[in-house]
Amino acid sequence: MKIAIPSSASDLSGRVEQKLGAAAYLLVIETEDMTFEAVAGPAQSTGSGAGIQALSLVLNKGVDVVLVDHIAPHIAEVLESEGTAVIERVQGSVVDVVDAYMRARHPAAEQQSMEKETEQIASSITWVEALNKARRQFGVLLPMLLGVIFLLGLFQAFISQEMLLTFFSGSLHQDTILGALLGSVLAGNPVNSYVIGSTLLDSGVGLAAVTALMVAWVNVGIIQLPAEAASLGWGFTLVRNITGFAAAVITGVLLNVLLGAVP
Amino acid sequence: MSDARKGHAGTKGWKPLRPWLFPLAIACLYLAGFLFAPEKAAEAARKSGIILRQIAVPIGVAIAMMVLLNRFLSPALAAKYLGKQSGMRGVAFSSLAGILSMGPVYAWYPLMTTLKEKGVSTFHLANFISCRSIKPVLIPVLLAYFGWLYSVTFLLANFIAALFVAGVVSLVLSSRKSKGASGNSLNQ
Repeated sequence: MKIAIPSSASDLSGRVEQKLGAAAYLLVIETEDMTFEAVAGPAQSTGSGAGIQALSLVLNKGVDVVLVDHIAPHIAEVLESEGTAVIERVQGSVVDVVDAYMRARHPAAEQQSMEKETEQIASSITWVEALNKARRQFGVLLPMLLGVIFLLGLFQAFISQEMLLTFFSGSLHQDTILGALLGSVLAGNPVNSYVIGSTLLDSGVGLAAVTALMVAWVNVGIIQLPAEAASLGWGFTLVRNITGFAAAVITGVLLNVLLGAVP
Repeated sequence: MSDARKGHAGTKGWKPLRPWLFPLAIACLYLAGFLFAPEKAAEAARKSGIILRQIAVPIGVAIAMMVLLNRFLSPALAAKYLGKQSGMRGVAFSSLAGILSMGPVYAWYPLMTTLKEKGVSTFHLANFISCRSIKPVLIPVLLAYFGWLYSVTFLLANFIAALFVAGVVSLVLSSRKSKGASGNSLNQ
């Protein structure tokens, strides 16, 4: 089944735009294998008559269903007369609305047969297509990845280990949060966090702060935020990193208590 | 159907440049660095080069895995093993994958995108990332620095923290999703 969605992005990471005629892209998604085609929205190529042009696009692509927030009644009428279902007041991310639509359409009883069908579809993708898809997926993230790597270089060059030691005050709670903060900003091989952690311990910094730093080192990445968001979305990235930060602080305090090192 | 962007809308205007704004901003920082602290900026560039060399292998592995996943993994299969209903088997898979994955996390972002598109749940994506804090090859180093009692407790705490983070991410994002869905009229 083909679903058309006006989207803010040219891939599945976008959000449903309000109108067909005003969208940056029109995504035509094949629900069987979630492959998609991104077509330039009329808004980018024409000023007036955008709705009519969007209508023409949908009809040309042989779309079965249009998911949209709002659509002009005369456009919806034409689509429905051509056998294309129109569902309005759809909001959210493209992936989520397709998922919600498919769940609503395929109750549990039909789910298994659908899964079997889609499992078989994988073999229809050729090696060349798989390679091209991977190249595209990697290409989208490459600029962000390069930016993050060069930012990490800046951090490593400008912030020394001695500089880190001066941040700690001796207060359990303050140092634990500071440790988690440092672990969130610094990045690199976890071995570095062990070395820094050990040095901090030897310098009198508490176990809670050192543990929080080592947990946050891998779990939280402030510098990597843009790259993670480009890959998994800002919602996922922020919730994961904030929870990871909290987990680092809690783990630090817990280990401090468990190992009897409370001052 | 291919997923080629037939309209090529992205080639018009400034949109194709948008992904490069962040690296461009970093380039500006380097430019400022070379003007005001040339030695440090050169060191930063050298360190970035080292990081690039270090992630070459993990990136290569990730790309090879992406090709294999694109070729063989269907959304249904991904959902079956790493979807919301995959149960303990899914937890075991994502935890093990995170523990065994090597290199920095950003080397794995492209693969994460592929897995997300295939329908892998947010719980397992978050669990994969968090479980990367448990590194079997680094356990001897951890033991050498902190002793066995702290190391064992630390690794165990990391695993529990990974599940906690994954649980919270899944809970928050699914509640946001259900709020969004309640506003939709999809049950037609």
